[in-house]
Amino acid sequence: MAPGKRIVITGISGHWATALAQRLERDPTVEFLAGIDTEPPAADLERTEFIEADIRSPVLSRLLPSTAADTIVHCGLLWYPAPGKPDRALHDINVIGALQLLTACERTPTLSALVVRGSAAIYGCEGAAPLFFTEEMARRYALKTRFQRDVGELENYFDNFARRHTEVTCCMLRYQPEIGPNLDAPLVRYLSLPVVPTQLGFDPRLQFIHETDATGALEAAVRNPVRGAVNVAPSGSISLSRILRLARKPAAPIPHPMFGPALAQVGRRLGVGGAYGDGVRLLRYGRGVDNARLRGEVGFEPEFDAAGAVRDFAAKQHGRRLVRVPSPGDVADLVGSRSSG
Amino acid sequence: MIDPTMRQTTTGDGAGVGPEAIAGFLRRLRGGVEDGLDPLSAAERAATGLPASLRRSVERMAARMRGDYHEDEWGFDEEFAEAAFPMFELLYDGWWRVVATGVENVPAHGRAMLVANHAGSLFPFDASMMTLAIMREHPLPRWPRFMVLNWAFVLPFLSAFMRRVGGVPANPDNATSLLEADQVVMVFPEGVKGTGKPFSERYRLQRFGRGGFVEVALRTGSPIVPVAVVGSEEIYPKIAESRALARLVGAPFVPITPTFPILGPLGLVPLPSKWRIEFCEPIELSGHPPEAADDRALVFEISELVRDRIQRKLYENLVKRGSAFL
Repeated sequence: MAPGKRIVITGISGHWATALAQRLERDPTVEFLAGIDTEPPAADLERTEFIEADIRSPVLSRLLPSTAADTIVHCGLLWYPAPGKPDRALHDINVIGALQLLTACERTPTLSALVVRGSAAIYGCEGAAPLFFTEEMARRYALKTRFQRDVGELENYFDNFARRHTEVTCCMLRYQPEIGPNLDAPLVRYLSLPVVPTQLGFDPRLQFIHETDATGALEAAVRNPVRGAVNVAPSGSISLSRILRLARKPAAPIPHPMFGPALAQVGRRLGVGGAYGDGVRLLRYGRGVDNARLRGEVGFEPEFDAAGAVRDFAAKQHGRRLVRVPSPGDVADLVGSRSSG
Repeated sequence: MIDPTMRQTTTGDGAGVGPEAIAGFLRRLRGGVEDGLDPLSAAERAATGLPASLRRSVERMAARMRGDYHEDEWGFDEEFAEAAFPMFELLYDGWWRVVATGVENVPAHGRAMLVANHAGSLFPFDASMMTLAIMREHPLPRWPRFMVLNWAFVLPFLSAFMRRVGGVPANPDNATSLLEADQVVMVFPEGVKGTGKPFSERYRLQRFGRGGFVEVALRTGSPIVPVAVVGSEEIYPKIAESRALARLVGAPFVPITPTFPILGPLGLVPLPSKWRIEFCEPIELSGHPPEAADDRALVFEISELVRDRIQRKLYENLVKRGSAFL
């Protein structure tokens, strides 16, 4: 009998790592499951071992080999600056953390697969971009925001690692932003604002991956890792104006040079500290990626397409109405009395 | 006995909708809202008593407000394009008196690449007029997609408008993905060189890029339909250009025409030239394997063939047209 899988997940206190662990726990072929983070996971995990460690510290190089892991899932990437934390912390975790993790991986001879939950931000958000980026179109445009540059460096390190360690299947997942009724993320919060600021005259094409699909794709990639980059996105695309209509949200168009400062003003409500350059660019130019590789090679078919993910989000969201809509009855009485009078 | 409100309805209001009907509509709307429907569903239900045309537009508007309309994966919004159609029809019929010939050469189904000359310095209308020619005069009309100068897609309003009516940023990836989905794609290989050439060089085709459009056509096995557009050169005759202004706004070039920018916004009104659009017979490329796209010599040969054909047709149609404006 073949021995079971031994999987280690980084960033276990985060939403996606916890969701993945919950799914993997149900699988009897997974013999050992562990999570690394500085804080314990928020949700209850039954048989996931919690290893308290900072992925930025060299101690990882001693911890990881001792788990005899065959698969490492890196979910420790931070996507946006948390309020009250400097941008530097983001860079430290995303880049230095990745370096330490890779060093530890080199010292883990049992390793056969490395899966990274990365970002489609590597493609950038450009007005004149291809409508659907395929995996080989990365770095066509200069990396403009800090997070993009972090993702760029991360991908460099992983490419190097993959080249030097051909015995390890390195799979880089490039995620489009997620959406879901239970999700707490800046763009979800943005769409939950009572009045949603948009950029006057711009109507970006977007892709939001539904949260169940986002976890499903991660699980599928852990079970069937493929070499190289894989885009994780729904099929099709949807414009921001239609998203807001589906979510029944009034839009507040703001001239685009003022949009960034406006977004920073509501930053606390979005859960983003400081400037959120990625969000500003995404909400101006949008981005579409091609998911053929995810569906064909990883073998994961997203349940929701771009419009479906938004519909599901809108259906389960309990919107608040700021302005009381005048009762049509009042107007009816007014017109009626006038015409008969 | 004649009801005064009835008379008012029939004489005063051409649409035949009196205040009575509106009041009835609003009463039913109130009923709907009181029944716990959301305003849009209530409006739809209340519209049942209205005249058919009005009812349809209320229903359509409600569906649109709710986001229930189709938008394809490239962002084309057919309802929006239909709504913009009459505006362009006015230009097509009244202003430019377009005569389109050979429209049946556009394949009725399957992929095809329409290659045309590009002109109209300030705002090229050739793609929109070709679209109208196909939509109105083809036996099996379908919406063509078109490649737009990349710069348009960083501009507010224009970017959103272009995308909704079927424009995509001009690059080989986008052309390939549209053709692979069996669309009709209009490309303008002259690009900015075509629109930015001075009036004195009108109807003289510029270099056809590096033949990228041929590569895409070969790779996707699409037939090429050369199209000659006459009339587009005279709408905004470029007599000079302003480098400083172009640098200031980041545009590829800013033309100076007899009316722009002297007359301000009035200078944006295109001149009423007479147009002729000729769709030539398709050039079949399916005989070549997709790898032929890497054959430089073949690519240039086909590119030149297409260019020659368009140039010849341009001269032919210029003679047929006679006077440019009358």
